Amino acid sequence: MNELDKFVGEEEEISKYKKAISSISFNIKLIWKNIINRRRSITIIILGLVFSMSILFTASIWSSTSQKIIADDYLQTLDYEMYVSTFLPNHMQPVFTYVLDDPLVEDVHWYYPTVALFNFEGKADNYTWYPEEQQDDLDDPLSISAAHIVSSAAMERIKLNLEVDGDASLNQGEIMISYVQAKQLGVIYNKTISPGDQISVAITRYIPNTDIGEHQMVYYDIDDTTFENFTISGIYKYVGKNTIIAKMLGGIGNTGGVLLDSIFFPKESLGIEDLNIMDSNGLIPKLLVKVSGQELRAAGIADMPDTIYALKERIEFRYWHAFANILSQEIQAMADEYTRSFGSTVVFLPTIAVSIILTILSSQMTVRKRKEEIAYLRSKGAVSGQIIMMFFGEFLLISTISLVLSIGIGILLSGLIPSFGHDDGFFSKEFFSRYFSYLEISPYYIEIFTVLVLGIYLGMTLYNVITFVRKDIHESQIMTKRGQKIIKTSVKVGSFVLILAGFIFLMIEYYRQVAGTSSFGFSTLSISIQALLVFIVLLFFICYFISLGINKIIMKLGKVYKTLFKRNSFMILKNLKRQRKNLTDLTFFLVLTICLLTTLVTLRSSTIYNNEIEDDYRMGADLRIESLLSVNISYMEETLGQIEGIKDITGFQTIRALWGTQIRIEVYGIDPDKFLEIGRWTDMSFVNMTAEEGLMTLDEQQAPIAVAGGVFGVFTEKTSEKGLILSNYLVRRLDLELGAEIEVAGFTGSGETQFLTITGVIESAPGLGVSHGYDPKMNRETDDWVLMNKKVLIEELDVHNGTLLLASMKEGANADQIKQEIESMFPFLTVNPEQINPDYIGYFIDKYIPPVTVILLAGAIILNVIGVIYILISTDFILEQRRRENAVLLALGGNQTKVRGLLISEVSTFLAVTLLIGGPLGIAATAFSLLFIKPLLVAEEVIPLVLHVDGLALFIILASLCLAALFGMIPIIRKQMKYEIVQELRAIV
Amino acid sequence: MADSYIKVEDLIKTYSSKAEVLVVLNGIDFEVDRGEIICFLGTSGSGKTTTLNLLAGIDKPSAGKILYDKNEIHSWSLNQLAEYRLNEIGFIFQDFYLMEHLTALENIMIPLILRGETEDMAKEYSVDLLHSVGLGRKALSLPQELSSGEKQRVCVARAIANSPSLLIADEPTGTLDTKTGDGIMELLLNLVKKNNMSLIYTSHDPYLTRLADKIIVLQKGKVSQYSQKEFPEVGYDKASFQFLVGDENHE
Repeated sequence: MNELDKFVGEEEEISKYKKAISSISFNIKLIWKNIINRRRSITIIILGLVFSMSILFTASIWSSTSQKIIADDYLQTLDYEMYVSTFLPNHMQPVFTYVLDDPLVEDVHWYYPTVALFNFEGKADNYTWYPEEQQDDLDDPLSISAAHIVSSAAMERIKLNLEVDGDASLNQGEIMISYVQAKQLGVIYNKTISPGDQISVAITRYIPNTDIGEHQMVYYDIDDTTFENFTISGIYKYVGKNTIIAKMLGGIGNTGGVLLDSIFFPKESLGIEDLNIMDSNGLIPKLLVKVSGQELRAAGIADMPDTIYALKERIEFRYWHAFANILSQEIQAMADEYTRSFGSTVVFLPTIAVSIILTILSSQMTVRKRKEEIAYLRSKGAVSGQIIMMFFGEFLLISTISLVLSIGIGILLSGLIPSFGHDDGFFSKEFFSRYFSYLEISPYYIEIFTVLVLGIYLGMTLYNVITFVRKDIHESQIMTKRGQKIIKTSVKVGSFVLILAGFIFLMIEYYRQVAGTSSFGFSTLSISIQALLVFIVLLFFICYFISLGINKIIMKLGKVYKTLFKRNSFMILKNLKRQRKNLTDLTFFLVLTICLLTTLVTLRSSTIYNNEIEDDYRMGADLRIESLLSVNISYMEETLGQIEGIKDITGFQTIRALWGTQIRIEVYGIDPDKFLEIGRWTDMSFVNMTAEEGLMTLDEQQAPIAVAGGVFGVFTEKTSEKGLILSNYLVRRLDLELGAEIEVAGFTGSGETQFLTITGVIESAPGLGVSHGYDPKMNRETDDWVLMNKKVLIEELDVHNGTLLLASMKEGANADQIKQEIESMFPFLTVNPEQINPDYIGYFIDKYIPPVTVILLAGAIILNVIGVIYILISTDFILEQRRRENAVLLALGGNQTKVRGLLISEVSTFLAVTLLIGGPLGIAATAFSLLFIKPLLVAEEVIPLVLHVDGLALFIILASLCLAALFGMIPIIRKQMKYEIVQELRAIV
Repeated sequence: MADSYIKVEDLIKTYSSKAEVLVVLNGIDFEVDRGEIICFLGTSGSGKTTTLNLLAGIDKPSAGKILYDKNEIHSWSLNQLAEYRLNEIGFIFQDFYLMEHLTALENIMIPLILRGETEDMAKEYSVDLLHSVGLGRKALSLPQELSSGEKQRVCVARAIANSPSLLIADEPTGTLDTKTGDGIMELLLNLVKKNNMSLIYTSHDPYLTRLADKIIVLQKGKVSQYSQKEFPEVGYDKASFQFLVGDENHE
């Protein structure tokens, strides 16, 4: 190669490079010009993409961010998450060191249980205090109380369980005493004990064993632990919560147990030696463990129960004598509730799907509008690849703009949405900024959702472009039209059948999992979400097939049109008969939108209705009377029954017991007749029997009990009143049957063992909630409860106390008045509490994730807006296509009113027909979906979830769709009518 | 005495664009008598179609008047104009403008339906009209299944469906071969005479002037009117072309 060749060669290289740059630059300019020229359709496509992606991004960001806040906030409300005990004296120190060093643990506090003495001054060592009612000096008695030795730091957490009059502090020289103890001291010292008073107290280093005759003062070993003039910083009442302190010290029904009559004493005021002595004397300390929220929630809320359980295992594995108690049920409930709450956002998916469809259809319209452009490009020699690349270039630009906007909107919305509707005003700035401080974006989900939405959009756009390009070059002639139709139909029907088969499989799996349980956990929730997703896809298919049918029906309604539209019917019918692609799309879209709108609104009304009657059912009766203290039920029934306005009253004697060695149950003593009369029973409360039949099995007079033919057998024999009604879940799981005799032992405080006959199987009871499973709404600690006749509890087990009474009211009685009277008579009673368990995690999560009813409403509103947008886009597109036709009509003497009337009548026909089909289809879809989406809507199926159609709400949402669409059409039609006839005739040939 | 029921006085039509103002009609005057047949002759772009559009009330003049029975039609409301088009005007468009989704019969029914006739009546009458234009067997054919001549016949039938007093035909033979064009013109003339209608048609073909009572030549936005007798012999030569464009020096 000579020098000249090199030079020429180099020049060619530069030329190619310049050519490529020029070509790229030209194409970019062309794409940009195309986008600018089609501003409106491109804006709609970008809006559709942004809407779909930003909702998905919001859900993803919201999910990862909110679970951090929910976990942190919830853990803040807990005193501790674990306590560790041991049965070996002086062995807790190494456990303490180990636990404190665990990365999961934030803090560990010591707790020493002992006894405090008051009015001990001047009592000799041989002063006999036991039995209390016979102690040496009854005129000046010694007062004994449980004492909790904790540090001031521990008090900061423990006080979450207490309602304190005064200051909830425990500094040096201060003690806190319970309300009951304050009353007792008031009697002893003959004065009202108030916060700020000074008092002398003795902390015992040993608790005498009265069984071996340790009845004298000397056994308390208080020589070095008497403290003069301690200030009472506060007087506390225990407020029931499912917390570690409740687990450690709580009594029946979370009444507080030893916390009722006790004091808190500062650990700092005792010497190490005193504490060691106490430990050696068998007053073994416990460790109260507060975990680090950040560490516990690091792997997400769903893993929290397992993470904390792992800590328990680590401790117990290393220290065989130690036993760690955790708030497993509560933390599990939080995980389940969070999953359910967030899982319920899946009902928003139809809206996103419809939005994607809107994008696809808009994209189709844009491509269809550009048929001439494609034909022109081809006529000028453009090959298919070049045309496709031009559309691909547009896609890249549109996608980039949409992606950037979606991420921004996603981040903003994920913080904005939960910031509304807080207690501190309409919009909480504090919450908004806090949300951003917790902000967590998962690139993984951003990528997945981007690929999903943009992939669908790109796929459909290219499909349309390729279809046009192929038509243009007659490639479609490779196959006959009939052949193409058969293949298309086969693909659609085949896909439908496959999806239907998958759905049936999921339904079977769902019913297998929920059988016999009324509480929905993670697995039922998961299968329910899967079933819903598949059902949505099925619904799309069903709407599509139905819309094909509707198009045929629409064309065969000539007589109806004649009646309705008189002489305009001819033109309307002819226009409807055109069977253009966009009319078919419009029918499909309208049926789908109306069906989904009806489904969302009806699901919402069903959920709201269910929540209302479920709340009533959980309350149990006209009046629900809860006691902070464990009270004598018979006494309360008699006393409260005399209040004017109360018709009848019944209480529940309550005791805990063990069944086998593992199953902890709460036993309620009931009066079957009264409970039947007062309680708000439903047909589904008992399994295969009415409430009356079920309850009467515990009635001595009427019990028609025994067995024949298994669990749901026929009752023929009479049996004793020592029946037991227990949960359907346990009956099924343990393969029990009616009439089986079982042994119930370990009645708290009693050595009794009872042999009881299973006389009834129950799902739930008014006032008590579900019979199996942890029911956090009921503030109940145990997993299961059983019903027995109260006579057995009173007469054979000597159980008289309980914390719950239900009452019915006389006609015309005022509930508020009765509530006031009872609460003023007994300050520890609460009548008709606003929420049975105000600390229910579900209420707490509602702060951060809107309840499913709000999501359903938001979904319906957005769907409505999308529906209106599509109708308007579609109308505009149809009118654009008919501009010449309208101009001809006007030129032939048609007036604008008539042409406008024709257009509105046409759209109204579509709306009316699709309303008539889509509405009932939506209601049917709701009724059917209730069979498998219960876990998404309610935490437990306390009462059967039934369809409830709120006609007014449905009317408002559907009427607003129709009216918005019709009113929205006016400016579009007016715009069309403004075109000069001549220009239209001239322009469109 | 001539029965002039349409009078055009000093009619001006201009089109404005950013670049220029185009004067299409520059103050034209003419009258139309009942039963009269008028041919507008002119080259492409001379303003023939614009004049017809203005007469039919589907375009607005920039200035001047069109009086129908002494009423200025462009002072009417849109609805009054629509009534005028529906009852008094039958328009045959150069490009047919048939509704593609309607059959030949249904296209003819449109003006009748617009006038408020029942579907059955409109159908019955349209069938007669189709027969009268010789398309009885094509009643159920869609426009794309018809030839240009057949389409034009459908247009004629549609135009006379409402028995207008004035039939306006924009280049009725413009897209047809000579034989078909002659057939259409014959049909038009027969229908006009039979129904006592006036006919205004446009053409750039001097040959068609022989069928008109009056010939109006449009040149540079102005008109020159001739009776059939007065109208000079115009052929397809250079001189005739120069006559039509109004420029003797035109090359």
